[in-house]
Amino acid sequence: MNIRRTAISFAILFAFGSAAHAADVDGKRLQNAAKEPDNWMSYHGDYRSWHYSGLTEINTGNVRNLKEAWSHVASRSVRGLQSYPLVVDGVLYYSGSYNQVWALNGATGEVLWQYKQKLNEDLVAKQTHSPYNRGLAMGYGNLYMGTLDGKLVAIDMKTGKLKWETKLVNSEKLTVGFTGAPLLVKDKIIIGAQGGEWPDRGPIFGVDANSGKQLWRFYTVGGEEGNGDARNTWLNDSWKTGGGGGWMAGGYDPETNTVWWGTANPAPLYDWSGPDYKTKGARPGDNLYTTSVILLDPDTGKLKGYHQELPHDAWDFDSSTGEFIMLEKGGKKYVVHPSKSGFVWVYDRAGKVQNVWRLIKHINFVKDIKPNGELVGRRDMTEGKHKNLCPFIAGGMSWNMGSYSPKTGLLYKVGNEWCMDLEIKKTTPVLVPMAQLNIGADFNITHPEGDKAHGHVSARDPITGKMKWEIKFAEPPLASLLSTAGDVLFVPDARGWLRAYDARSGKELWSHNNGQGHNGGIISYKAKGKQYVAVMTGWGGLAGDDYGAFFGGTFAQMPKDSGVIKVFSLR
Amino acid sequence: MPTSSGKALPAPFRIFFAAMVCAVIAVQSALAQTAAKPGPMQSGTHTSRTAEAPPIDVGKLFATSCGWCHSGGGREAGKGPQLMGSELSDNQIISRIRNGKTGQMPAYAGAFTDQEMRAIVAYIRSLKPAPVEGKK
Repeated sequence: MNIRRTAISFAILFAFGSAAHAADVDGKRLQNAAKEPDNWMSYHGDYRSWHYSGLTEINTGNVRNLKEAWSHVASRSVRGLQSYPLVVDGVLYYSGSYNQVWALNGATGEVLWQYKQKLNEDLVAKQTHSPYNRGLAMGYGNLYMGTLDGKLVAIDMKTGKLKWETKLVNSEKLTVGFTGAPLLVKDKIIIGAQGGEWPDRGPIFGVDANSGKQLWRFYTVGGEEGNGDARNTWLNDSWKTGGGGGWMAGGYDPETNTVWWGTANPAPLYDWSGPDYKTKGARPGDNLYTTSVILLDPDTGKLKGYHQELPHDAWDFDSSTGEFIMLEKGGKKYVVHPSKSGFVWVYDRAGKVQNVWRLIKHINFVKDIKPNGELVGRRDMTEGKHKNLCPFIAGGMSWNMGSYSPKTGLLYKVGNEWCMDLEIKKTTPVLVPMAQLNIGADFNITHPEGDKAHGHVSARDPITGKMKWEIKFAEPPLASLLSTAGDVLFVPDARGWLRAYDARSGKELWSHNNGQGHNGGIISYKAKGKQYVAVMTGWGGLAGDDYGAFFGGTFAQMPKDSGVIKVFSLR
Repeated sequence: MPTSSGKALPAPFRIFFAAMVCAVIAVQSALAQTAAKPGPMQSGTHTSRTAEAPPIDVGKLFATSCGWCHSGGGREAGKGPQLMGSELSDNQIISRIRNGKTGQMPAYAGAFTDQEMRAIVAYIRSLKPAPVEGKK
């Protein structure tokens, strides 16, 4: 064998070796994701949903030297980049609006391939919660993505070519499809449909990760015969248009083989039943399994347990938004779940409530929620005008993820302080020719009484909620947070500033203006031996769209059709 | 039953809701039939509302699908612009409802009938400022 032939052989070996390595991502590797902090292989970082990086090259001592390494501009970025990048073996993958996906060299940003999903564009033009995509899953050599028009697709990680697509939701009829990231569990892909104020039954699906075959479906509205049938919690057959869904990726507990998924609100958002909600109004009853945490068997889709955080949610404070932070403290294992309501629920691993604590100040849709989960002093509204309901419909917390650092033992989370006035009306669901939003009220955002609307990032004990420190923001940041083993907390804010804080003290260490608001994910990874921080930029989501009229300032002119992924490293 | 502009609607609006309820029941039956077997979600048969539909309670239609973005029933800017006092012509408003605007407003062509779109224009033209005590 001459030298040239040997070199070619090595090149081939290297190419195939790399491909085989990338293809090795599977359910087992994801269970051990924390052991390979160079990579970020799933939406939540790993199954514990910490949104934490174990890398230390960038730390409190040198983060002031962070500089932009590269960036990539995403085409057709209507409503900005709202997704999380994924990284494995030095390649960064991310999704953008209109179900576009890019694979980039993680060290240089050079484009390796681009994928554009063939969409039903006429349908997409009719959607309200669109055209953004919030993330991907990876495994078995594929990237998985839910599409705006109701498909789950598998894209070859190496070539960027479509491998298969499976139609799961009749979006042409229901108008909505998928925007949330799928979750890979063992050899299955789990993904939840949009729902909430959309009058359907909000299904969650289990799909074979290799073949694309649909294996199971769970209806978050009412379940069905043989699998959590709770249709009797919706009088007058209101379950048939009940909303629900699970529009953000859930979590997975390998020890109990249980998928944890948060479900969306019932439709219409606002009900006129008043306190007689068990027997009157648009959807009489508790409305299971909306605004709930459900525990599913990933292999069969069978309901193993549930806790309805807000029985008969009359405020759109759904439970889809919060991550499932799995941690141990004092020898006990917990699952911590923040929700739009502004409260944080703490469960044991069987789904039994251990504590409930409040992350925000301005809450009056209930007087309180007891540590055992019982709602006290519900504010159930009737038809007509109501003032100063808190928090605002966008939530005391939104779908942007917090971060838990095992080094500090603290949970870092964005809180939103804002309220609303509304006029509740007796609406009727519109189902033909296509389903339409069923809101049930006219409303507008307001400042809390005696306060000014604002946001904050706080560092707290995840079990008790005890605050260690808090930083106030003039407007609620709407992007996710990242904490690292270098004791740095990264906060991408609404105005466009990316800031780094000392995770222990909250002291600001570094800031950089990315030129437009943040409304997506942030990760850290290594490529070619160097640590990077990658953050999504771009503005114009369902929460941020109110900022221009309400907060004014820079938001009045901020573009809503621009998206850039910005990547930083030490100079 | 009052509209949001405070004027009582004639009795036939009830027929509209009866028709809607019938449509809902038809859809629900179809949905129930497909609920048991896996496959693409099917939520009913494709039926269209006719041009001869009875009068519309446009205040409720607005609160069903429009109030999410057009705050205060269209009186204030929110996610979308303030509609009260719009300088657009009737045809321009109908065109915007029908075709939407990329990234800012969905297209309602095929979802709302021409009659409903005209009713929404009339609703917008009827909007008056809310009482001052309602402002913050």
